[in-house]
Amino acid sequence: MNNSVTLQKPNRHKKNAVKLLILGVITVAAIVCYLLINSHPEKTKLFLYILGLRLPTLLCMVIASLSIGVATLIFQSIVNNRIVTPALLGMQSIYSFLHTAAVFVFGTGSILFVNQNVSFAVDLVLMGTVATFLYWYLFQKTGHNILYIMLIGTVLSSFFGSIQSAMVRVMDPNEYDALLSSLVADFNNVNGEIIIFSVAALAVLAIVLHKELKLLDVITMGRDQAINLGVDYDKAIRKLLFGVVLCMAVATATVGPVSFLGLIVANLSRQILKTYKHSHLIIGASLIGMIALIGGQLVSQHIFHFTVPVSTFVTIAGGVYFLYLLLRKKGAY
Amino acid sequence: MAANMNIVDLVKSYGSKTVVDEVSFEVPKGKVLSLIGPNGAGKSTVMGMISRLIAKDTGVIDFEGQDLSKWKSKELAKHLSILTQHNNIQMKLTVRELVAFGRFPYSGSRLTPEDNEMIDRAVAYMELEEFEDRYIDELSGGQRQRAYIAMVIAQDTDYILLDEPTNNLDIYHASNLMRIVRRLCDELGKTVILVLHEINYAAFYSDYICAFRDGKIAKFGAVSEVMTKECLKDIYNVDFEIINVHDKPLSVYY
Repeated sequence: MNNSVTLQKPNRHKKNAVKLLILGVITVAAIVCYLLINSHPEKTKLFLYILGLRLPTLLCMVIASLSIGVATLIFQSIVNNRIVTPALLGMQSIYSFLHTAAVFVFGTGSILFVNQNVSFAVDLVLMGTVATFLYWYLFQKTGHNILYIMLIGTVLSSFFGSIQSAMVRVMDPNEYDALLSSLVADFNNVNGEIIIFSVAALAVLAIVLHKELKLLDVITMGRDQAINLGVDYDKAIRKLLFGVVLCMAVATATVGPVSFLGLIVANLSRQILKTYKHSHLIIGASLIGMIALIGGQLVSQHIFHFTVPVSTFVTIAGGVYFLYLLLRKKGAY
Repeated sequence: MAANMNIVDLVKSYGSKTVVDEVSFEVPKGKVLSLIGPNGAGKSTVMGMISRLIAKDTGVIDFEGQDLSKWKSKELAKHLSILTQHNNIQMKLTVRELVAFGRFPYSGSRLTPEDNEMIDRAVAYMELEEFEDRYIDELSGGQRQRAYIAMVIAQDTDYILLDEPTNNLDIYHASNLMRIVRRLCDELGKTVILVLHEINYAAFYSDYICAFRDGKIAKFGAVSEVMTKECLKDIYNVDFEIINVHDKPLSVYY
């Protein structure tokens, strides 16, 4: 068995190019299916109307899979562990908490809740600043000890979760009903301006982190090796972690909390590509994320007729895959 | 290039405990220097500071005319390399790819033909050709250690720092490794600094020994000066006998 593995290795990277190409083709196919199935191309007006509905959802899914895939991959490489996700930082609970607090204090009638743009901007700004300051402070305090941060993140999760559930308990049931829809990941009701904001935010992040992303391969080798190879480790980690936090903020603000997606796409990408090159892994993870989300949306839309949201599929599939990751032989990591 | 490393009044404390206390010494260029001493004597901390893995409290580490902390990390990586024992790589990496990382300070992840030549040479030097395409996690401890050394060779630095390189190696692999260290110095002209627990490896394979005790230098000198009954007793608080093998003083302790 060893022999056959050895024989494959020299052209591992060429093979990966092919694999990425295949993933790309599947993604394009999924996109085409999503846009064209039941779109009545013979009736131009209806067709355009349907496209106008589907395009924002599509872009939304692309943004979500990109930012979640990138964030999870970076986070896993920094922590040097493949079964963690930035969801452990507790950002989703901050999101739920902020939303619940907004409804609790201002009511569902307030502009914060009704106007999607305002709501999104507030989400992004609040989550961005809360997360950045919170984690910046935590990183300083713990000397960039990521295990501590994750522990604190878990504690924060239940802390914000408790406050949130306390507020929900005394909330008017109708308001809670309205609130709930914003607490479950949803790709269907997103408007174009939000998408433009998200794309802009991600583009800025990509430019700011451009240099650090190239260091990821080396950073995965651990702190000592990274420093030995000339990486300004603490600075790079700081920037990358903020990138992770902001990516998660963008994803969560755009579609709501998606818990398992990052774990699935990052691990599938590593499993399929079997490489250390983050340039490949990131593209792979993003493509897999798009396939998963768009595929899920297709199923949700055409088989379940919107009765079951995509995030349910993602969570179920993610839970099963997570168990598989934990149970399969350790050597495979 | 007058490459030099000069350490002056190095201090490191954790809380109220001073683990390195005003340590000063000069690293002899082109020689093998071993740092020895009992547990907690501060040798690994000194190693950590001169390799920039640990931040120093006060003191000067003058490296080629400039304090280590003023060096650009990337530039320093072309002059000084460090290999510690904390190498658990969580990714699928072949030996050749690992060795190629040694060229990262020069070319990033885009390898030039010269880089590939350096990698070939490093792989050949460590006799790793047959393992070149094997994954790191499929190798034995000794082979893996050789792969890491090959990476350091590919990094092509004047100074090579090895923190307890013989840990977890059996006698065969450990003595092989020490012979490699000797060759790095003799054949490639590298300055090698090691932290060692095995006094006899230090005695047999190095030129100079710096012995630590309680965060201070107990003795610094040529091997024959440090490897005396009195001196070792003073450092380790254990009785030693010194015997000469191949003109090198080796210690016997029990």
